[in-house]
Amino acid sequence: MFVCLCTGVTSQVVTDLVANGAATSKQIADACGAGADCGRCRRTVRAIIDASKKQDCPVHAAR
Amino acid sequence: MGEHELHSLILAADFSVDDVESMWSSISARQDHLAGMAAHHVVVYKSIWEPGRVLVTIGIRHPNSVRDVLRSPAIFELFDVSGVDDIPAIFAGEVVEKIDLHETSPDDAVAHVIVGVITLVQDVATLMDKVHGAADRFAHAGVRKIWVYRAFDDGQEVMILQEIENEVRARRWIDHPDAAAEWMSLGEEERSDPSTGAHPTVFVGTLAHLMTVDERVN
Repeated sequence: MFVCLCTGVTSQVVTDLVANGAATSKQIADACGAGADCGRCRRTVRAIIDASKKQDCPVHAAR
Repeated sequence: MGEHELHSLILAADFSVDDVESMWSSISARQDHLAGMAAHHVVVYKSIWEPGRVLVTIGIRHPNSVRDVLRSPAIFELFDVSGVDDIPAIFAGEVVEKIDLHETSPDDAVAHVIVGVITLVQDVATLMDKVHGAADRFAHAGVRKIWVYRAFDDGQEVMILQEIENEVRARRWIDHPDAAAEWMSLGEEERSDPSTGAHPTVFVGTLAHLMTVDERVN
């Protein structure tokens, strides 16, 4: 899915950045531009970061 | 994503608004803007379980670039007039197949239930083989139509719209889907938790509005 309409950044790009250590929407914006322009996609970016944290959490991972 | 020549593009966005009818009035009043981005139709599905939640699809003719379409002022305006500040992730893809599993009947005038899922699958071709192999079972479960779309930016990402006879059968389909409907079980936890990821939770609604955009407008 396309996360950032301004830059055309996809959820896969954001997910990969999170997997490589990005942990804040600012880090994502610095790395790929998503959320750096109008900022209206930051909520989705944060949702992807949160989803990754849940996957890393042993409680969620064990489900 | 490759920016190859596109024949037809479908955009889909799942979001919430304060007033669906007001949103529709605003959108339908801007046919010229929609025609300007080569839209040929706009469809709004309204959730039956979550007031204000909508799934909006826009069909676009012969776009040169998905990214150009997405960053066009008309797309931003769609969210502006809908009162949506936080723009959701947008599915952008093409039709793989539209499968009709029912025979036309007088019941066709009844508003059926739409169950929409955007998720990742293992392989779209394999998925379609399974769907065709299970068509009778799907029909028996009350599934009338299945529309499968493949994302341009991710070959494993699909949007699947299923038209189901009624709400009771839709709930049963969601709770106990056919094994061949792998999209209903993949990412089940993600879909049950609205706070996770780019993919929206499963959408359950009915057709609220449909507009064909006149090419001559603009």
